[in-house]
Amino acid sequence: MEEIRFIDLEVHSAFENMAIDEAIMLSMKEGKVGPTLRFYRWLPTAVSIGTFQGMNDEVDVDFCKSKNIDVIRRITGGGAVYHDYNGEITYSIILPKGHRLVPDDIVESYKILCNGVIKGVGHLGIEASFKPINDVIADRKKISGNAQTRRHSCVLQHGTVLLDLDVSMMFQALKVPLEKISDKMIADVKERVTSIRDILNQDIAIDELRNALRNGFSDALRVKLVPSALTSEELKLAEKLANEKYSTTQWNFKR
Amino acid sequence: MKVVDYKVPNGKMLKIKLEFQEEMIKSITILGDFFLHPETTIEDIESALIGCKIDIPTITMLIQDVLQESESTLIGAEPSDIAKAIEKAFQQ
Repeated sequence: MEEIRFIDLEVHSAFENMAIDEAIMLSMKEGKVGPTLRFYRWLPTAVSIGTFQGMNDEVDVDFCKSKNIDVIRRITGGGAVYHDYNGEITYSIILPKGHRLVPDDIVESYKILCNGVIKGVGHLGIEASFKPINDVIADRKKISGNAQTRRHSCVLQHGTVLLDLDVSMMFQALKVPLEKISDKMIADVKERVTSIRDILNQDIAIDELRNALRNGFSDALRVKLVPSALTSEELKLAEKLANEKYSTTQWNFKR
Repeated sequence: MKVVDYKVPNGKMLKIKLEFQEEMIKSITILGDFFLHPETTIEDIESALIGCKIDIPTITMLIQDVLQESESTLIGAEPSDIAKAIEKAFQQ
């Protein structure tokens, strides 16, 4: 069975997390590391925005500052996400371009990789499905948002799996365009987004979700996950990217 | 500066920030939760639109040309959606 390097659940700042993703891509481009799956959490809690979004359009930056919530621009498109330290696990999978799991058809590749999330929450007893372009839904509501970029001769897909949802904090941190809500004729966000604890009505622990996702990705992608660590070169590069790119106003407020 | 939100039917959100002079685009930023691969093409689209007449067919064709030349893929919106959003900002 194909082996994939697995970096088990870690905790990092927003700047470190996004820097690590890019450092892995750059290292893979050089042929120094192979396909990689990582799980992580965000500390402090953070808001990430899609690469084409405007920070001040999407995020109440003053509110976030007052609550010690970090704000960051991703290198991937997609929407703004509230990453609650206690409420989610994020995964990133980085594969070389041309890998069997990432066909050129982008939506098809989302579908393939999102199967990891679907199988994962399936292990917890949740029936979920892929909703194009980039969502996983359960009970007709979004439980996982995903985003991809293709650069450095790699494909990166990262996504969140919601364990718990603090709607009140999320909507103080984010500015939600009224049109998006009215278009879907749903004023209440709770009708659109759900979480594992909501669905199961059980206090599932973060480690249970971690185990379920690990098994889910391994089953769905038919790969053996080999527990490993980032190389010292990746760590050095990630530190540089965190300091010189992801934590800078120039990057985060560029749009 | 005009700012509008435009929800693409069955697609993503677009936000257009637009300045114009007579009926020409003077400056434009195309924001939203769509996907564009490679992402840097957004800047090529924005600069190509400077000086362009605000007219849906013209803008659509211009964006299509940039996408084709740069071999880029736009997901969650069509060039015509961006054109519609720009016209909406202009008419606002």
